[in-house]
Amino acid sequence: MRVKLEKRVQISKYEIIAVRIASIVLALLSIGLLFIVSGIDPFYAYSVILSGVFGSTFGISEVIVKSIPIGLCSLGLSLAYTAKVWNIGSDGQLIMGAIFATWVALFSNFPQVLILPSMFLAGFIGGLVWATVPAFLKSKYNVNEVIVTLMMNYISLNLLDYLLSGPWRGHGVFNYPITDEFPKFARLPSIPGTRIHYPTLILLILLTFLILFVMNRTKFGLEIKAMGDNLEAARISGIDTFKNSLIVMMISGGLAGIAGVGEAAGIQYRLIRNISPGYGYSAIIPAWIGGFNPVVVLVASLFVSALFVGGNIAKVSLGLSYGLINVFNGVILIFLISSEYLVGYRVRIEWT
Amino acid sequence: MDIVTSLLLESIKASTPLLLATLGEIYTERSGILNLGIEGIMAIGAFTGFFVAYTTRSLPLSLLAAATIGILLSSLHAISSITFKANQTVSGLALAMLGLGISSVAGSKYVGLPLTLTLQPIRIPYLASVPIAGAFFNQDFLVYFSLILSIFMWFFLNRTKYGLQIIAVGENPSAADASGINVELVRYLCTLFGGALEGLAGAYISLAYLPGWIDGMTQGRGWIAIALTVLSLWDPLKGILVALAFGSIDALQYVLQPYGIPVSLLNSLPYVVTIVVMAVATILLAKRRVRPPSALGTPYIRE
Amino acid sequence: MSGKIKSKKGYSRLTVALAAGVIIALIAGYILGSLGKVPESNYYSLQQQYQNLTALVQNLTASVQAQKIRAAFIYVGPVGDYGWTNAHDVARRYVQNLFPWLETFYVESVSAADAPAVIDSLIAQKKVNVVFTTSFDFMDATVEEAKKHPDVIFFHCSGYKRDKNLGTYFAELYQLYYLNGLMAGALTKTNKIGYVGAYPTPEVIRHINAFALGVKAVNPNAKVYVRWLMAWYNPDGARQAAQALVSEGVDAIAYTEDSPAIIQFAEEQYKTTGKMIYVFSHYSPMYDYGPDVVVSGELVNWGVIYEDILMKIKEGVYNNTNLQNVDYWWMLKEGAVELGAKFGMPINPKFVNALKGKFVQDPTLGNISIYDLIFVRLNQMSEETVTFDPFTGPIKAQNGTVMIPTGVRAGHDTLWSLNWFVDNVVGSPTG
Repeated sequence: MRVKLEKRVQISKYEIIAVRIASIVLALLSIGLLFIVSGIDPFYAYSVILSGVFGSTFGISEVIVKSIPIGLCSLGLSLAYTAKVWNIGSDGQLIMGAIFATWVALFSNFPQVLILPSMFLAGFIGGLVWATVPAFLKSKYNVNEVIVTLMMNYISLNLLDYLLSGPWRGHGVFNYPITDEFPKFARLPSIPGTRIHYPTLILLILLTFLILFVMNRTKFGLEIKAMGDNLEAARISGIDTFKNSLIVMMISGGLAGIAGVGEAAGIQYRLIRNISPGYGYSAIIPAWIGGFNPVVVLVASLFVSALFVGGNIAKVSLGLSYGLINVFNGVILIFLISSEYLVGYRVRIEWT
Repeated sequence: MDIVTSLLLESIKASTPLLLATLGEIYTERSGILNLGIEGIMAIGAFTGFFVAYTTRSLPLSLLAAATIGILLSSLHAISSITFKANQTVSGLALAMLGLGISSVAGSKYVGLPLTLTLQPIRIPYLASVPIAGAFFNQDFLVYFSLILSIFMWFFLNRTKYGLQIIAVGENPSAADASGINVELVRYLCTLFGGALEGLAGAYISLAYLPGWIDGMTQGRGWIAIALTVLSLWDPLKGILVALAFGSIDALQYVLQPYGIPVSLLNSLPYVVTIVVMAVATILLAKRRVRPPSALGTPYIRE
Repeated sequence: MSGKIKSKKGYSRLTVALAAGVIIALIAGYILGSLGKVPESNYYSLQQQYQNLTALVQNLTASVQAQKIRAAFIYVGPVGDYGWTNAHDVARRYVQNLFPWLETFYVESVSAADAPAVIDSLIAQKKVNVVFTTSFDFMDATVEEAKKHPDVIFFHCSGYKRDKNLGTYFAELYQLYYLNGLMAGALTKTNKIGYVGAYPTPEVIRHINAFALGVKAVNPNAKVYVRWLMAWYNPDGARQAAQALVSEGVDAIAYTEDSPAIIQFAEEQYKTTGKMIYVFSHYSPMYDYGPDVVVSGELVNWGVIYEDILMKIKEGVYNNTNLQNVDYWWMLKEGAVELGAKFGMPINPKFVNALKGKFVQDPTLGNISIYDLIFVRLNQMSEETVTFDPFTGPIKAQNGTVMIPTGVRAGHDTLWSLNWFVDNVVGSPTG
C-alpha cells in the first residue's frame, strides 16, 4: 500500500467544505483521545461542551458576545491582508478605540443624545490614528508593518496604564487604577438576559456586507486585490499603491477601534487595564481561515469564539486547566490548516 | 564595579534568551519558513530544562533535552509547513498555543520548587576585569555559546556552500531546486535547528535567569524574538546587536525612573526605539532593499 | 487488487459521507443540549446504576440533615504562578480538606471580560451556592452577578463594593511590611533601601508607606527608593529594577511582585560577588530561594479567612441578605498573615545577632534592641485589641504636609485609598 499525494485538478465548493469539516472531526477525535488520557469520559465531555456552547441561549449568547470584537477586528484584518498589508496591531488599535471612546464618555461635554454615536466615531478615529503610523511607514518607506504594529500594541498598553494610574484615575474608585463608570447614557444597551450589546453587533453585520461590497464591486476593492496578487504589477499598471495601502491599514485600524468601543461601552462600562484579553490577536486566525472573504471570516469568527466559550465551559464543567485548553485549541488549529493542504491535494491510496 | 558595567552584566544575561531564539529564527526564515511558534517552543524548552535538571541533577543533560524537545516541537511546524504546505502563520500560532499549554499542564506539579543547580558564571581572568567590556567575560556557558555560535552562524551562512544554499532556498526556491539543491531538506534542517536554539533559549530562562519553573515565565520573549529577527536584517551578527540593545534598553527604564518621566511611558521605551531603529534602518538602506527573504512564508511547490 | 486505483467519485463520496457524519453528530449534540439534561454518563453498567441509586438515596437523607456548601473560586491567573493565585488555591485545598460538608470548584486564568459568563456557568452547571472572586479585576463582574443571582452568596477579594449577598475580604500585609522595615532600617549599611512595586494601587502604596515608616522608626537617615514595574508578574523587570537599585547603592529591598525573582537575584549576587543585599519573602515562603539573603518576609494565609467565611455560612450567620457590611480586613491578630522568611521562621537566624546588636531609643520603651522592638511591635499588633499601628501620626507626605496628625491612627478609608508617599520615600506614587 502506498499513500500518494496528488494535486487536485479541480475541486468543488462542497468538497472544500467537506474536507474542512472532516478535519475538524479528526481534531475532535484526537482531543477525545486527550480526554481519555486525562481520565475523562470523552462522550460526556463533548456532550457537556456542545450542550453548553450550542444547546442553551446562554452559550450561544456568549459566543455572539465574543464574536463581536473578534469579528470586527477580523473584518479589518481581511481587508488589510487582501492587500498583503500584514496588520498585527488590531489589539492596540482596539485599545486606542476604547481610549478615545472613554474620553467622549467621561471627559467631553457633548450633548447626551450625541454621546453614543460620537463614541463610535471617536473609537473608529482612535483605531485609525493608531494604525496611521505603521501605515505611513509601510506605504512610503516600506518599513515592515509586522514589527511596527506589534510594537504599537505594547505601546498602547503602556499608554493605557499611564492614563489609568494618572490623569484618568477615577474619583469614586478609592484610587484604584481604573476610570469611573460610564454614565448611563454612555452605555450600550444589551439584549435583555444576555450581554450582547446589539448596536455593535448590528454595526458588525452591516460593515461585513459593506466591506464585502467594497471588495467585490468597487474599483478600490479590485485594486487592493491586485496589490495582493502582485504589488509591482499593480503599481506599474497605474494603481496608487501608496494611497491604497494607507487607506486599507487605516480602515482596519478603525474597525478594531469600533471593537474597542463595544468592549468599553457595552461590556465593562469603564476603561480598565484588561479591556482586551487579546481579541486583536485572536482575530488573526479567523481572517486566515476565512480566506479574507468578509462573510466567511464572520463565520470563522463565530467558530473561534465558540472555541473560546467551549474552553471556558470545559474549565468550569470538566475542571480542565487552562493549559489543557490551550493544547486543545492548538490541536484544532493544526488540523484545520492541514485541511488546507487536502483541499489542494488529494490523498490516494494505491493498493498494490 | 561601576554602574555601567554592572548594568551591562545584567543586560547580557537578559538578552541571551532573546539572542538564542533570534538566531534560531534567522536561519529558519532565511530558508523561507516563518515560525511564529517560538513562544511555545521556549516555554516547553524552559520546563524541560528545569525538569531534567531537577530530576537528573545534570546540566549538560538538561540543555541537551531542551534542545531536543525544541527540535521535536518545531518538527510539527516543519511537517505542516513543508510537507503539507499548510498556512505557516496559523501553524506557528497553533504551535505557540500548544507549547504554552503543554508546558503549563506538565509543569503544574513543579511550580515553586527551587532549583539549586543553575548555570554558573565562568569568569575569564584578566579580560573580565576590563571596565565595561569585561562584562562579556564574566558570564555563564550558554552566554558564551550564544555569542560564539552567532559568529559561526554568520560565517556558515555567508562563506560556505551550505550557507549559500540556505539563502538561495529562501530567495528563489525554484531556481535552487533547478540547480540541484534539495529545497525541502534545507528547510527542514533550518527549521529544526531553529527549534533547537529556541528550546535552549527557554532552558536558559529556567536554568540561569530565573531558576525554577513558573507558568508563563517566557513572558512574551518569543514574540519579541520575531521582531528582533527582522530588526537584525536576518544577519546573525546583527542579531547580537539587536538582542543586546533591546535587553539593555529594557533594563535601562528602571535606571531612568527617578528622573520624572511617567513609568508607563518609560515602559514603552524599548518598543519605541525598535520602531525608530526599524524605520531609520529601512529608509537609510532603501537602496539595498531591506526586505525579508523573498520566499518567506510561501510554501514551495514543485510544478 | 493490483494496480486498481479508486475512482475520483469514490473519494467525493467519502468526503460527503464524512461531512454527513459530522453534521449528524453536531445535531445530536445540539439536541442533547437543548433537552437541558446531560446524563452523567450513559455508559454505566446496570450494577453501577443500582449502586448509584443507593448512593443517591443515602445522599438525599444525609443532605436533608446537612446542607452541602458548594463553593466556587474564580482565579485571575494560573494556579501555577507561585504567587497570588497559588496562595488562594493552597487555601482552597485547606478548607476542602477541613470541612466534609464542603465541595469546592475552581476556574483559573479567567479574564475580567469572561468572569460573568464563567460565574453563570458555575451556578447553572455546578449549582454552586458560594462564589469567591479572587481579584480586583472581577469587581464589576461580581457586583453584576450578585444582582443577577440573589440567592447565591458572593465574596469579592480586594474590592470595596458590597451588597446584600456580596461581602468583601482581604488579607492585609502592611503590619508585616512595617516590621520588615524595622529590620531593613537596622541592617542597611548604606542607608539606601529599595522597594520594587508592581502597580501603583492604594494597596501597594500602603505597603510601601508601612515599610518606609518601619525604616524611619529605627533609621531616620535612611531613604526608601521606589521602582515601579507596572505589572503584577514581571520577574525580568523585577530583577532589572533590583539591579538598578543596587547599582545606586541600595542594599536592602522589599517588593510586591508575583515571583521570587528578586530573592534569586540577591542570592546570586551574594554567591558570585559576596555583596549582601537584604531581601524579604513576599507572599509565599521564599527562604529556600535565598537562605543567605532572605531576612524575613510577609506571608499570607488565606485559609484562615476562607475557613471563617465558610463556617459562618454553614452556621447561618451569613446568608444572602446580610452581607452589606461584611468586610474582612484581616491581619496579624486574626492569623491571616504571618511574619517570616518561611512559615515558622519569623527572622532568619543568620541575621538575629545583627538585629540584637543594634539599639534605638523609643519614647515609651526606652533603650531597646531592634530585635526586641520587632517582637514587641509584633505582639502589640497581634493582640485582640491592637495597641500599636504603624499609621499613627504625625506622618508627613513627601512635600512636607502633615497627612496624619499627631496621635491619630489613620482610619480604614484613608488607608484604603492612599495615594501619597511618606516623606522618607523617593519616588512617584502615580507611576
